[in-house]
Amino acid sequence: MRMLTRAALALGIATSLMSGVAQAATEIDFFFPVPVQGKLAVEMTRLVDAFNASQSDVHATAVYTGAYDDTNLKTRAAIQAGKPPAVVLMSANFIREYVITNAATDLSALIAKDGLTDQAFIERFFPAVRQNAMENGHVYGVPFQNSTPILYYNTDAFKEVGLDPEKPPVTWQEWVDAAKKLTKRDGTTITRAGLELISSYDTLGWVTSGLAMSNGGDYYNRGWGGEVYYNTPSTIGAVQFMDDLVHKHHVMPEGVNDANAVANAFFSGRAAMIVNSTGVLGFVRDNMKLPFKVAFIPRAIRNAAPIGGASLLIPTGNTPERQAAAWKLISYLTSPEVDGGWSRFTGYFAPRMAAYDLPEMKEYLAKNPDAKVAVDQLAYATPWFATFNTVGVRKAIEDQIQAVLSGKAKVPEAMEAAQKAANELLRPYVEQTALKLPQ
Amino acid sequence: MLCVTLSLRPSPGLRTGVLALALLAPSLVLLSMFTYWPVIGVTLRSLVEQRFGQEPSWGFGNFARLEADPHFSKAVGNTVLYALGTILPSIALALGFALALRTQTRLVAVLRTILLMPQLIPLVAAAALFVFIFLPGGGLLDYYLAKLGRPATNWLGSPDLALGAIIAITIWKNTGYYMLFFLAGLAGIPADYTEAALIDGAGLFTRLRRITIPLLGPTFGFVTVIALVNTLVQIDHVIVMTGGGPSDSTNMILYYIYQQAEQNLDAGLASAATVVCVGGLLAISVLALRSLERGIHYES
Repeated sequence: MRMLTRAALALGIATSLMSGVAQAATEIDFFFPVPVQGKLAVEMTRLVDAFNASQSDVHATAVYTGAYDDTNLKTRAAIQAGKPPAVVLMSANFIREYVITNAATDLSALIAKDGLTDQAFIERFFPAVRQNAMENGHVYGVPFQNSTPILYYNTDAFKEVGLDPEKPPVTWQEWVDAAKKLTKRDGTTITRAGLELISSYDTLGWVTSGLAMSNGGDYYNRGWGGEVYYNTPSTIGAVQFMDDLVHKHHVMPEGVNDANAVANAFFSGRAAMIVNSTGVLGFVRDNMKLPFKVAFIPRAIRNAAPIGGASLLIPTGNTPERQAAAWKLISYLTSPEVDGGWSRFTGYFAPRMAAYDLPEMKEYLAKNPDAKVAVDQLAYATPWFATFNTVGVRKAIEDQIQAVLSGKAKVPEAMEAAQKAANELLRPYVEQTALKLPQ
Repeated sequence: MLCVTLSLRPSPGLRTGVLALALLAPSLVLLSMFTYWPVIGVTLRSLVEQRFGQEPSWGFGNFARLEADPHFSKAVGNTVLYALGTILPSIALALGFALALRTQTRLVAVLRTILLMPQLIPLVAAAALFVFIFLPGGGLLDYYLAKLGRPATNWLGSPDLALGAIIAITIWKNTGYYMLFFLAGLAGIPADYTEAALIDGAGLFTRLRRITIPLLGPTFGFVTVIALVNTLVQIDHVIVMTGGGPSDSTNMILYYIYQQAEQNLDAGLASAATVVCVGGLLAISVLALRSLERGIHYES
């Protein structure tokens, strides 16, 4: 009888491998985005195939769902349609909104089944990523891929102007000094920018939050989603710094530069230093023909770099059976081996600390000192901007900074306007929480 | 079905009525499900005020909030500029190309195909291409402009230029398509008129003004309405190229609706904007067709 079951099971696996449909296995779907440049979708599909082959209880289908924002949109639509995916790789700063709107499953029960407390579970991950994965002491997201912004610099350009490539700028002052030296002009036109920052929507808010935090600020209320600190000295100073790079020091081109433009300028030697995610390290390695190095983001008052990246969450509306199957996939993907492998492929750092104890990871870091810089910077990493209405509130300051970088607005007025717009967007939530007092 | 209806032979009026209903039913079901019901649904939704953590209530609050939202007025302004900037030039160019390429030779066929080519590329793909054409410094456009001594220009990253760049792509994309309609319109104009005018000694310009353009009236009406609808619904390139930026300078009504519905999870505001936008479009289309029809000579 047992033989028979085994034979049937083997046949089942064989058919499932051949036809892609498991017979007895729980079918689950997994939404995943590809937020950065590179061949990430192919690798993710490979990982999920490996998961399916590794066991027979769960058959997961990986569904590529665009960028972070698209994935959020498609997940929301699927929840509304009553067909939530079992697992979503969600931009970590949206988790707070999912909790606020009761759209994310509290993972405590699943964690308890593994014999762990929420606290013990989350301590498997780097301290910097914990805040964005939890609300009120409960785990809602399991960190999978994380990044921080990092400074990429062209070492040839450094040598050419007499800067030591082994000594990248450490403070904002040194950063500006280096950028001035590195900038080349033809008349008033910049032919090589000393520094370029990505200033299109989404990344601009991320970079700005890092600069503001480096400048001493908190940028947003980390524990509660109803407050942002745009019109504060720390943020005003950070935005003024960006404005100065364009309009005072003339080391950065005017206007908005998106990720494509900035990466392209760096690859072709038209930008000597850029700030980009550690998540594109692999992409830069593949495309940059000139020698380059990476370094911490220079500091104003303190070192700071905001966390970016994504966590795995289970949307509400999934049956316990699907939740258990989802948990299997999540446990597989965030195991030190798989998470470490994904990190080596992409350049994201692995949030699972144990990944760095594995021999292949040690070997990789020894071979790729640039990846080690990304991990080392984690000591200074700060949580990612997350509020009620995250995208809208983020856009409130981005619109103003874009106007500043285009020479259409002055910083103090712009930050006042940004704060006002953000407060307006946050008001419905604030009125229902902090301002809802006992009657 | 048809045989049964015919063999029963009820009164002719009833018979055609039943037959018509039977034939129309499939489209009616589909239209009700995917057109009429959503229209009603959106209209109802625009009247439901639902803010975070509060009980929903009926009213016009969404429209009041819409009117007060500077992002919405900006999006409306941009859409108007975008409409004027794309419709007038693309129609003028389409007419010009149609007039130039109305003869039937092999060369003309090749040229027509070339002009129609952009229409065959999906807008998203075209936008992705143009991102690299517009790249400041390293892009194709700047590469050639540099040879003429022009400095690098941040086409998509400047609030003054970005909308212009979006408009340029739209014209490039749509002109060939509109040209097709004008070619069809031109083919419908009897040659006798032109011959008679030629015998009377009418010049090229007079023939154009007195014969061709008046007789193309229905084509103008049709193309204008199509172009109007296009300016409202074709925003793929905005999403790919600028995300509505810098500072909302390329934000359009449809993208604004998307932002409210999906990013700010504000279905009420999004529905109100949809109602305003579709209502406005309907009014403009009717006005455009009316005023154009006054001058239109339909063949009897």
